[in-house]
Amino acid sequence: MREDLSTLNKAAQKAVRHVKDKWNRSPQFGIILGSGLGGIADAVEDPTTVPYEHTPNFPQSTAIGHHGQFVCGYLEGVEVIVMQGRFHLYEGYSTKDVTLPVHVMCGLGIHTLIVSNAAGGLNPNFAAGDVMVLNGHLNRMQRRPHEGLAAGPTSAWIQSTLRPYDLQLNQLARHIARKNDFEAPLGIYAGHLGPNYETRAEYRYLRRIGADAVGMSTIPEVLIAESHGVRTLALSAITNVCSPDALSETTAEEVIETAAIAGQKMEKILRGILLTHS
Amino acid sequence: MLDLYDKIEEAKAFIAGKWKGTPKVGIILGTGLGPFVERIEIEAEIDYESIPHFPSSTATSHRGRLICGKIDGVPVVAMEGRIHLYEGHAAKMITLPVRVMRAMGAQWLIASNAVGGMNPNYQAGDIMVIEDHINLMTDNPLIGVNDDRLGPRFPDMSEPYNLKMVDAALTIARKSDFVAHKGVLVSVTGPNLETRAEYRFLRLIGADVVGMSVIPEVITAVHCGMQVVGFSVVTDMCLPDALKPAVVDEIIATANAAEPKLRALVAGIVGQIGNQ
Repeated sequence: MREDLSTLNKAAQKAVRHVKDKWNRSPQFGIILGSGLGGIADAVEDPTTVPYEHTPNFPQSTAIGHHGQFVCGYLEGVEVIVMQGRFHLYEGYSTKDVTLPVHVMCGLGIHTLIVSNAAGGLNPNFAAGDVMVLNGHLNRMQRRPHEGLAAGPTSAWIQSTLRPYDLQLNQLARHIARKNDFEAPLGIYAGHLGPNYETRAEYRYLRRIGADAVGMSTIPEVLIAESHGVRTLALSAITNVCSPDALSETTAEEVIETAAIAGQKMEKILRGILLTHS
Repeated sequence: MLDLYDKIEEAKAFIAGKWKGTPKVGIILGTGLGPFVERIEIEAEIDYESIPHFPSSTATSHRGRLICGKIDGVPVVAMEGRIHLYEGHAAKMITLPVRVMRAMGAQWLIASNAVGGMNPNYQAGDIMVIEDHINLMTDNPLIGVNDDRLGPRFPDMSEPYNLKMVDAALTIARKSDFVAHKGVLVSVTGPNLETRAEYRFLRLIGADVVGMSVIPEVITAVHCGMQVVGFSVVTDMCLPDALKPAVVDEIIATANAAEPKLRALVAGIVGQIGNQ
């Protein structure tokens, strides 16, 4: 366990101590669960839950289908800390609020972060229910990733965004997918502020600038993990394919339903990666 | 957003004290389009400053009055002068008047703005009927805890502008024998105008015209369940390979000259809504 918390800001240090008081282990993996993917949290063995609302300096989550707590315990015999529920910029939270849990997980000593999200597919080769492995992102979130957080290894800020997604983890994830008889394509994730879904013209624009999927999360968290030197794998559940020339209405309920199908695939990837570390 | 509901009700109650009508249509008049007010049989006019929680307009040629009355017998409420993001207000506050118009009973929003034309087939003085938009503004009016009394958390945007009314507007223009285009609006925060490189970028990503308004109001209107019709008046051409400095007086003069076309379109659409 990393005992030196000096690279964390004070808010995060206090929260790290709070989690340690409840669960005094060293997690290897941090896992962030997105819309409809909360089932993995229930599979954690010997779980200790730490609700966000009781954690110092944490705000509360409000999005549909989201709970708000850390679930600490074991998956495939590996110590993990799972974020069941996350904070979004569109909920009115600052970048500081959104990324505080990542600072806390990094402060607890994780070496790897696995992030999931629900995203709309822009690549016409994608289908609803696919899992995309993030190979890069386009930050269109209109907020600075490190806003309000002065602490952190500053040299890493400058390196930030060069290679936020770990190449070997990406290869491993796609290998596990093939072993389980499905493809997990690589792709570029565009992060939008939201909360409204995109217009047809916006889908065309995002596709043209190189995005394969669009969502409203993940980028702030990934940038913070990178600044701590934590390697990251991010997976998008493709909940619908947004074809601007034959666009149908998107509802939050549909998104959550399809996310559950993709969620089963994500769970296989997640467990496969953990197994290689047990 | 949880603070909005009471503010909307207070503003609505205040307006109800000055005007007893129930509007069917809310109208927002952009830069240089203020003269359209002459087309309204005015029954009440209220300064924004006197209405609780209304932000006040500081922009050039925007007056800042709420006009209540009728167009050809159809009850409307019109904003003479809008408030822009670049004036420093939060998006959720500049769009409060849209929510108030909805609360008063308006089911339709007609929004207009002055824009720069990037599609080389357009000319200064042309009208573009907004078919769709690209939002590049740095604030969104729906940020915050959603109030389910006002609308859904994640509003769908597959048809923010009523496509039947887009066709209806183009028909009105043909019958009146003036040019109207159908196209895509991109809105930026501003307030500086775009560089040549930015115009190339905006054109490349699929926009026909660029402005600094309308989209926050449209997102808000969709959120609260209104049907939307949008008109952009091309006040100057922004062709990056032959770019001339923008002159605000010329822009306003072009908007004023185009105003009769906008008048025909808005009155025609209001008439069709009234017949529904």
